[in-house]
Amino acid sequence: MRSSILSSILLHIAILMMAIVTLPIFNNPDLEIPPIVQVELIEISEKTNVPKVSKKQDEKKEKKVEEKKVEKINQPVLKPKIEKSNEKVKDPSENEEVVKNKIEQQMFENIPMRKPVIKKKDKFDPLKIAELIDKSKDTKTVEENIDDLEYDALDSTPSLDSKLTLSEEDAIRAQFMQCWSIPLGIPFDDTMIVKIKISLNTDGSLLEPPEVLQHERMNKPSEKYFRTLAESALRAVRRCDPIKAPDINRYESWKKIQLNFDPREILRG
Amino acid sequence: MMIKKVLGIFFFLIAICTNSFALIEIDITEGNREPLPIAITNFFYDDERSKDLDQVSIDISKVISADLERSGLFRSIDQEAFIQKTASMHIRPRHEDWRLINAQALVTGELTIEKDKLRVEFRLWDTFAEKEIEALVLITTIDNWRRISHMIADKIYERLTGEEGYFDTRILYVSESGPKNNRVKKLAIMDQDSFNHRYLTSGKELVLTPRFNPVKQEITYLSYFKNLPRVYLLDIQTGIQEVVGDFPGMTFAPRFSPNGDKIIMSLARDGNSDIYVMDLKSRVVERLTDSPAIDTSPSYSPDGKKITFNSDRGGSQQIYVMDNKGRNQKRISRGTGNYATPVWSPRGDLIAFTKNFQGRYFIGVMRIDGTGERLLTENWYQEAPSWSSNGRVLIFYRETKADDAGKGHSSSLWSIDLTGFNERKIETPEDASDPSWSRLIQ
Repeated sequence: MRSSILSSILLHIAILMMAIVTLPIFNNPDLEIPPIVQVELIEISEKTNVPKVSKKQDEKKEKKVEEKKVEKINQPVLKPKIEKSNEKVKDPSENEEVVKNKIEQQMFENIPMRKPVIKKKDKFDPLKIAELIDKSKDTKTVEENIDDLEYDALDSTPSLDSKLTLSEEDAIRAQFMQCWSIPLGIPFDDTMIVKIKISLNTDGSLLEPPEVLQHERMNKPSEKYFRTLAESALRAVRRCDPIKAPDINRYESWKKIQLNFDPREILRG
Repeated sequence: MMIKKVLGIFFFLIAICTNSFALIEIDITEGNREPLPIAITNFFYDDERSKDLDQVSIDISKVISADLERSGLFRSIDQEAFIQKTASMHIRPRHEDWRLINAQALVTGELTIEKDKLRVEFRLWDTFAEKEIEALVLITTIDNWRRISHMIADKIYERLTGEEGYFDTRILYVSESGPKNNRVKKLAIMDQDSFNHRYLTSGKELVLTPRFNPVKQEITYLSYFKNLPRVYLLDIQTGIQEVVGDFPGMTFAPRFSPNGDKIIMSLARDGNSDIYVMDLKSRVVERLTDSPAIDTSPSYSPDGKKITFNSDRGGSQQIYVMDNKGRNQKRISRGTGNYATPVWSPRGDLIAFTKNFQGRYFIGVMRIDGTGERLLTENWYQEAPSWSSNGRVLIFYRETKADDAGKGHSSSLWSIDLTGFNERKIETPEDASDPSWSRLIQ
């Protein structure tokens, strides 16, 4: 009786654990629905890679550039936003510049910094999102500004469809194949496969040293063929460092990869 | 008990759940088959303390490079490209400099003279892992630097390919000279890189099929004395020669057993060739095959339990395998054409052979059950493959066709590895045939 109660409790715990581990509602914060504004941006970015540039927009851009040039003297990155939010509050005038600067500085101190994962080449200004949110009440303004934005790095949170595509997998595979000098002298053996876990930075470089998952075989005197194979695979990983990174939007799915170096077909002859 | 079971189920379920979040796996089943780039530096020495080592330092590096390149698995990087050139690299190489010139491995060394002996210290570095992966100290007389170089090349080869090297070995062969109808045949021996060449017989008597003892510096060969075939044993180090026996009729292709205590050969008695084995201690001869067909070219498996040979009992010359008592004789070659001179690989997994098909000669290998036949090289006439000690390379001889005037005929030694791509001529002073490759020198 006692054991059956105990087993019942344990099984319930097991089911509960399964639920916790498997169900997305408990486990995967990545899958939470992003704020509405961000979702809209993602959709548009998928449809339009290159924003259309009209004459009007050109003019606007020029104005912005001029404004930025002035601001860059003090705060190169963050000022545009503050400037624009000030525009809403007050009309800019030359006489009020000193007061305005003070207010700007105060506001700047209160703005939390976001550090999205962005490639160096991305020109995306994170503050533009905030700017967009401010103006989101006015639909017209939102639409106009969306066209001005660059979308490359907007998606710092992974989308639902974040798996590596087959062609991306192939691209990674091809890189390691090029880097791997197969030790052709190893005799054929069905267990000759080396599994290496790698962790990557967003730029495709190694985040930490590659790890052979079959540690125990590495140092056995009887496994000298395996050691040679594993060392050749490790050389390949380091030789390929950094790899050409796949789509940064799917970083979550490729930041850790298991590489199976499998020369069996070649060694079989 | 019950609790244990329940706990077992519990952890099993957890394991299944966590597995559902496994990493993305990418299988890499192909790689770069280009030779591995390796940097082999001249070995350093102290100018003041060890004079006259200048040439030895350069030569050792050259011999190691040549050995590794000949294997087809390595590419020695030109020393002109080296960035780091100071003596400190033997202790602490700047790996980034070596990676920059694409070297995956680096060989450094140091020479010193100690009590008239040459002390050679070498290190092998993995430039990507940035660590030393092999180191060795060898002490010898200065004259012996060439052999030391081969031993170092063997160590490097073994560490980077995973299989034993084959550079500290010798090749025994029949050196031929003179016109085709009156050839002078001498027994000759040399290092596997054609250096240290010397003749073992004078050429007065015809010599055939020399073979190395797998465990000793001893050879067996066939020679004619007063037109009678004799099987000889010759100790290479002492030069002492011994007659194993006179055999009436024809004798072919004597070969040692793997532990060197027996000689297996084919003898023609009453017009019929069969396989016989002779115990070298007791000199007792035992007959292994008893077929009306011609059975020749026997060769032991490395464990000594099986023997491969060729026979025409099925109507054409084919390869057979039997146990070491002559039982369970079974044909293994199944392709079209004639198969001859089967030789069991020292690794045990393959049998090399000569195949004659539609007037062309091939050197090939097959698995020991006859499957997976691969023809490695084709020519007008070539035969007699012999394995390198690690079972990766085959040496054989090839003849060129004489023209109508009888000129242009020549015979030379060639090697080919199991990939079939790395075919190389082996230099000999005169024409050469019937090579036999030694095991690693002990």
